[in-house]
Amino acid sequence: MNPNEFDVIIIGGGITGAGTQRDCAMRGLRTLLVERSDIATGATGRNHGLLHSGARYAVNDAESARECIEENMILRRIAAHCIDETDGLFITLPEDDLGYQQTFVEACQSAGINAEIIDPELARRLEPSVNPELIGAVKVPDGSVDPFRLCAANMLDAKLHGGQVRLYTEVTGFIREGDTVKGIHTRSRQTGEEVDYYAPVIVNAGGIWGHQIAEMAGVHVGMYPAKGALLIFAHRVNNVVINRCRKPSNADILVPGDTVCIIGTTSTRIPFEECNNVAVTPDEVTLLITEGAKLAPSLSSTRILRAYAGVRPLVSADNDPTGRNISRGIVCLDHEERDGLKGFVTITGGKLMTYRLMAEMATDTVCRKLGVDKSCETATTPLPGSEERSYEAVAQKIWEAPSTAQKAAAARMGTSALRIRGNNPYDDALICECEEVSVGEINSAIDRLEVSTLTDLRRRTRIGMGTCQGEFCACRAASLLAKAHGCVEKERADLANFLNERWKGNFPIGWGDTLREAEYTQWVYKHVLGL
Amino acid sequence: MKHNTVIIGGGLAGLVAGISLQQAGQETAIVSTGQNALHFFSGTFESLQEAPERMNTLFNEAGIRLQYSPGVRLMPLGTFRESALSLEDIGLFTTPKFARKVLIVNFMGYHDFFSSFLAEGLEKQGMQCRIRFLNLPEMDKLEQSPSEMRSVQIARTMDRIWEKVVQEVRVLLKDEDAVVLPQVFGLQDTAVPGRIRQGIPARVVFAGTLPPSVPGIRTQMLLKRRYEVLGGTYLMGDEALSSHVHEGVVHSIVTKNLDNHYLEADNFILATGGFFSKGLRSNPFEITEPVFGLDVVYDADRNAWYDKAFAADQPYMHYGVKTDESLHGIADGKPFKNLYAIGSILGGTRPELGSGAGLAIKSAFAAVDEILRRPAPQDDKGIRQDAKDASLVD
Repeated sequence: MNPNEFDVIIIGGGITGAGTQRDCAMRGLRTLLVERSDIATGATGRNHGLLHSGARYAVNDAESARECIEENMILRRIAAHCIDETDGLFITLPEDDLGYQQTFVEACQSAGINAEIIDPELARRLEPSVNPELIGAVKVPDGSVDPFRLCAANMLDAKLHGGQVRLYTEVTGFIREGDTVKGIHTRSRQTGEEVDYYAPVIVNAGGIWGHQIAEMAGVHVGMYPAKGALLIFAHRVNNVVINRCRKPSNADILVPGDTVCIIGTTSTRIPFEECNNVAVTPDEVTLLITEGAKLAPSLSSTRILRAYAGVRPLVSADNDPTGRNISRGIVCLDHEERDGLKGFVTITGGKLMTYRLMAEMATDTVCRKLGVDKSCETATTPLPGSEERSYEAVAQKIWEAPSTAQKAAAARMGTSALRIRGNNPYDDALICECEEVSVGEINSAIDRLEVSTLTDLRRRTRIGMGTCQGEFCACRAASLLAKAHGCVEKERADLANFLNERWKGNFPIGWGDTLREAEYTQWVYKHVLGL
Repeated sequence: MKHNTVIIGGGLAGLVAGISLQQAGQETAIVSTGQNALHFFSGTFESLQEAPERMNTLFNEAGIRLQYSPGVRLMPLGTFRESALSLEDIGLFTTPKFARKVLIVNFMGYHDFFSSFLAEGLEKQGMQCRIRFLNLPEMDKLEQSPSEMRSVQIARTMDRIWEKVVQEVRVLLKDEDAVVLPQVFGLQDTAVPGRIRQGIPARVVFAGTLPPSVPGIRTQMLLKRRYEVLGGTYLMGDEALSSHVHEGVVHSIVTKNLDNHYLEADNFILATGGFFSKGLRSNPFEITEPVFGLDVVYDADRNAWYDKAFAADQPYMHYGVKTDESLHGIADGKPFKNLYAIGSILGGTRPELGSGAGLAIKSAFAAVDEILRRPAPQDDKGIRQDAKDASLVD
């Protein structure tokens, strides 16, 4: 058997690609995933991290709403360690139409979402940071989800089922024979090595970049890049997701996540050329702060940690050249049926929330084409780390009296934290103090989760995501990476890249305490450490 | 009580000014929040090409030995930087290749000292390196707590057990002609780095760690002690909030701890540092100086505050308060008669004074000379009430 031959190749290491690889691998297929950068670098890692109840879509898009609430309940079971079951509120402010509330609740209920009108006073007690002026509140089963962790867990499980993963590997072309796609040409962005891989089915899960991947294969998928900007605040201001009860608009969702909270988003159509380098403008920052403070007034005096933006992979309905008929729904295209191109499938549209369903649809298509008759089990099989639902129970199993740092590790890693159990007394030393990430957790990520760079490590462990934005943890972790990879020189450059990447999200909001922290960090690296 | 001079800010600039003025016979007070840039001092006085005699004397009298030796110094991440003047325990070399073979010694579980980066940097210069880790039972207690293995905590232990380190290094040492150790020695006992040098039969180089900087904290303690020995009043953990001014003369300041009392003086020195130290304050629209409302030099367009590359020279770091030739602070275009701004609150507005530690020292001496040269401004009785009503700068 040629080691470069697989049953299915998946292009794209976002949540859709990782989920599809897991599903395919669990159904016994030999899988390869190729990703031009790291996992979760596109829209997967650049959103709110909201575990939608579906309520936001209930009025305008009943189908998406139903998909969301079903997946919401599934993810609570299979991805417990990636999820924070916070609940959510849809609040009505004096300037909003309270009449919308009834329409909203009815739409939720018909989509199967448990939406409950509560007294504004109760809402203030449930979430003390909420705008006290609110005149109406509806409670829904929203939550928050760590998309990096979710993506890494899917990739890990695919690997545990024999899947192979090539990160930093770019598809440079397709191998075609007549009307059939047989394989891909790839080039490693780290070593420059060029390798061809073969499979009877190739899945395009490239998110917004899926547009170009399809073009490369010779078919057209009409996509519309829509940029969304978000701000991360340095404290977890709210414990319950806060939404506005009105027609979805800009900056009307505030989501708590780990030690921070995130306000967003905006929606701006951008050209494809900008997708690789989206920047947040000062106007967007102002809009997000102003609108965010209407949800939780204390945001106006809370330090902002970062500004960032993602690109939604919106898809126009087929054969609609105007692009007016844009859907946020799932689009699974068998290009053999659609374009007469055999061996090529595109899975796109959708959202983080529905990744598992998208993966199931893509995998069903793959299996049908391969003549494999095996049913999907991803809705019931927990991801690695989520075998136990309570992180406190996990922490208790490992440590007799877990410290807050150990509890934090268990919350991030779930049952995978069992792997770092006290093999080495030095493993408890903290590398990142803001997020309480230990040596053991970092080494475990390096061992299991395909880490090339510090930025990859950040996506796996949250180092550098806290209030100091990587001030000290960056060079501590760089030492560990240098040791693991046996190369200091590369690590020096990696450290510089990491700091640059952190700065990119800091300077758009560079005032007050953020500027203080930046001055300190820049002074220390330049004049004290000599990077 | 009224002072001759009140200094706001207890870092390098404020302390050098305070010591100099006390020596000249003034009664002074320093208002210090307790945190300052000496806590992350590299140990090198950048932008000072040599130690002015006056600086040498001042530091020597405080018990701080300086060395002047133009060349390069070893940075914590294994690079080399040109340098001429530094604290005595910072290694300065004429060329980067300071040895043939080097033994780099770290402590087990200590992540703030970058031995592998150092080794790579030294090997690039043609030195062979060996890295070894010490596992001392005296450090068990530190190791057990995940956040205790930090420079200052280790340095406290090392003040007690440095001789043990010397013994262990002697055992580890083979044919190396140099040993690199982390800068965690001599926090309280300034003689320790010298004794370690004497005890190890190879060239001993102390390389920096992540902050807090042990040599920096030691420098701060010694300068503060010297200032207090000279009779200065160091108000620790206090913060200047606002000022009373009248017709270009600062009459007094209000501090956090002194509640309703005013700190009065003939002269005031503002040495509160840059953004991190809160000498300068910023919001999305402006950059201000909070105590006296001094004019700040900065770009009106916030987009011009930053360079998109982290490592580039950042424009905001050059912003600072406006001063006249004699370092008098300027508000609304008019210089104060008895207020001087020194140290990094000047940012890059006085490029001839350099930056960092060099700027702190040069500007401190310049302000001190100005103060001692001029007669104290007339104390206009009755100002206080007017000033309080009319021009409380918040």
